[in-house]
Amino acid sequence: MTPLALAILSLAAAAPSPAPTRPSETIAIRGGTILTVGPQGTIANGTVLIRDGRIAAVGTDVAVPAGARVIDATGRYVIPGIIDAHSHTAIEGGVNECTNVVTAEVRIADVLDQHDVNIYRQLAGGVTAANVLHGSCNPIGGQNAVIKMRWGTGPSDLVFAGAPPGVKFALGENPKRSNFRVPGTTRYPATRMGVEVVLRDSFRRAQDYKREWEEYDRKLKAAGPKGERPLAPRRDLELDELRDILDGKVYVHAHCYRADEILMLIHLADEFGFKIRTFQHVLEGYKVASEIAKHGAGASTFADFWGYKMEAFDAIPYNAAIMASHGVNVSLNSDDDERARRLYWEAAKAVKYGGVSETEALKMVTLNPAWQLGVDKRVGSIEVGKDADIAIFSAHPFDPATRVEMTLVDGIVYFDRARDDGKATRAAGGAR
Amino acid sequence: MRARPILALMMLAVLVSPRGYAARGEVYALVGGRVFPVSGPPIEKATVVIRDGLIEAVGANVTPPVGARVIDVNGLTVTPGLVDGFGGIGLPAPRPGGGGGAPPSPAANPLAPQALALDRVRLADALKARDSGITTALVIPRDGVLPGQSVLLNLGGEKLEGMVLRQPAALHLHMATLSRTYPGSLMGTVAYARQALYDAARYRDEWKAYETAARGHKRPAYDPALQAWQEVLAGKELLIVTATRENDVRRALALADEFKVRLAVADAPQAARVAELIKTRKLPLLVSVNFDPPRAPTFGRPDDEKEKQDIEEAERNPSELHKAGLSFALVSAFAPDFLAGVRKAIERGLPADAALRAVTLAPAEVLGVADRLGSLEAGKIGNVVVWSGEPLAKDTKAKMVFVDGALYEPDEKPKPSPSPGAPSPSPSPAAEDLR
Repeated sequence: MTPLALAILSLAAAAPSPAPTRPSETIAIRGGTILTVGPQGTIANGTVLIRDGRIAAVGTDVAVPAGARVIDATGRYVIPGIIDAHSHTAIEGGVNECTNVVTAEVRIADVLDQHDVNIYRQLAGGVTAANVLHGSCNPIGGQNAVIKMRWGTGPSDLVFAGAPPGVKFALGENPKRSNFRVPGTTRYPATRMGVEVVLRDSFRRAQDYKREWEEYDRKLKAAGPKGERPLAPRRDLELDELRDILDGKVYVHAHCYRADEILMLIHLADEFGFKIRTFQHVLEGYKVASEIAKHGAGASTFADFWGYKMEAFDAIPYNAAIMASHGVNVSLNSDDDERARRLYWEAAKAVKYGGVSETEALKMVTLNPAWQLGVDKRVGSIEVGKDADIAIFSAHPFDPATRVEMTLVDGIVYFDRARDDGKATRAAGGAR
Repeated sequence: MRARPILALMMLAVLVSPRGYAARGEVYALVGGRVFPVSGPPIEKATVVIRDGLIEAVGANVTPPVGARVIDVNGLTVTPGLVDGFGGIGLPAPRPGGGGGAPPSPAANPLAPQALALDRVRLADALKARDSGITTALVIPRDGVLPGQSVLLNLGGEKLEGMVLRQPAALHLHMATLSRTYPGSLMGTVAYARQALYDAARYRDEWKAYETAARGHKRPAYDPALQAWQEVLAGKELLIVTATRENDVRRALALADEFKVRLAVADAPQAARVAELIKTRKLPLLVSVNFDPPRAPTFGRPDDEKEKQDIEEAERNPSELHKAGLSFALVSAFAPDFLAGVRKAIERGLPADAALRAVTLAPAEVLGVADRLGSLEAGKIGNVVVWSGEPLAKDTKAKMVFVDGALYEPDEKPKPSPSPGAPSPSPSPAAEDLR
């Protein structure tokens, strides 16, 4: 190697990567109706004070410091940023790693596309965070990425730092390839029984893997600092995740439809001693709501979208309300870049069909999905100390004529209808 | 008596061997040309002396040594031999699209870091590149995700072995996907590479432990794929990541950081978007001039507008990188006409001197051989091209090409390109005819 190449190497390894974040200013959103979704309830003619990207004060008697940027929200509604618990937005080079039955080693965070214009479009729908999931092609898919809609930053800047990691599971027709047969190819499993076997086999392998590493740790300790170091077991990035699921360090977001498969997964998780964090789609969740609640899982469903395949027929628009009434943490998700722009109307449907209170319905697209993603201490409601992820609506978010006027993430305005010139959509995110 | 036919054959072989391969010790003096050393400014009416395969002297006040074959290149230009720092020179051409034709040959293993491009190079095909003034080429297995290791060749000589500048030159990772087999997605490709590097590191440790204390231990199994990674892991061999998308550059950097390997990025048609990052990280770049590569078939209607934008962005990419103050190589990246691509980059704003550097000294720097080639400096390998006019200009032709100090003269008249496997072009007019 030449000295030049060596120099290039050492510099390349040492230099930090730049972090292009904009400074956040002190902002006072004044005069609006604040739907905090938190302990402060609804505040008429209130002020939200934002400092250093966090919510510094909320109320009717908040002093606005000199020099603060004042956003007049008179006649408008101020709500916590909407959180989409099931999204496939901003992914480059494929949503599914479909070729293997278990692909827990693949990471959505590796392939985020910060130029996807849907980030901007979702900001225009008040969305500030999303659970970007691997597809449902295999029983155990890849690792999800919880992102914030920081439009115009780099791919790693999208990642919601501190959000717990998770892995996508899938049950039923998609992993058994009922509706996606490619001529000349077969892939195990082809039945729901097979899906269960794949899961059970995988966690048995994970248990063996865990034991192998524990044995190694014991040997390492016994050898002491001066003894002969034992050879470490092979690090398997797939089994790493499954072991971490067993240890409760990694969430499971399980795509499912039918009541029987939901119960199957609860039993299997109980057998192996781990928890399902969310059941996704879960259209027959209303049939097994108590069991879901008892397991402690959340449920993320559609408001009124079904019938698009056999396993999605026995569905009702009361699903969200019924599950919530049994004590399940329920969210309403998009699974779709278009639906993601109007999740507030999906929430409104829970009021219409299930008689859910407006606040509880709004929680289904804010605080509840925040809990499902393990970030409810940070976002999901307008409370002092939380991240300043906020959407300002022209009218109540359930008003059929409402629209989003402004969206902030970390106290930075990423969408402002008054300043939208259509460029972002035209350029589809290519320009900086 | 029985030896006579063999002797006759040997004599015949001597007679028909390609002309111009200098006997060892031959000395050339190229006198009176406009010389572009690349390592410094152009020199008018200069002399370049090539002795025994190496450049001996370059300058305006150099006197041709006694016994040198003096070639008057007055009115002509002289540059270092061009380097294609990333391409398929000498490899069998990819199958033409569409139906018909010969049945496809069995596909190479797309996940074989141990595969060697050297094993697949066809000597006669490789040497044809000299007609365009290319004297050095990094030859890369084109298809797959981990397609193997490239070889850096000097395009002169009669045996492949004698042409090798570095073998293996680099291990390659294409940020691509496979059809119906893992990895079938970009995230799968990243995960596959990450796992491969973890496995390679453990393989190293396994063998190290065994070599330290073989007695009483079972020997580990040999694995050619994991063995192939070892020099990369040790920081001795370059890892070249083919980065087609903007974020592939970031993905490559993240992988290199995680495993502390030497990295260069190739293709990089959107590199100008991350110019600051590349500058900060001093990332060596092999920038493609294959501005309109064949696209993978997509489901549904192709997005023509997007494709047009991508091509225009790729064409402006070299000049934008240059404006950002970056040094980079321009490479063919399997383009059918390398120099036409370089000219396109110049048309789109890349200064000609920067372009010349990008196809000579810059690739030599990226590939770690700038101490021995890439510029006209005393002591460097005798790779020199005499051009009919301004280097890289449209109508300029390579009139004399020296590789390892041996003279080769491309044909004056263009002729139909020979079919694959056909013999090399017949000898061309002698240098004396040019005077």
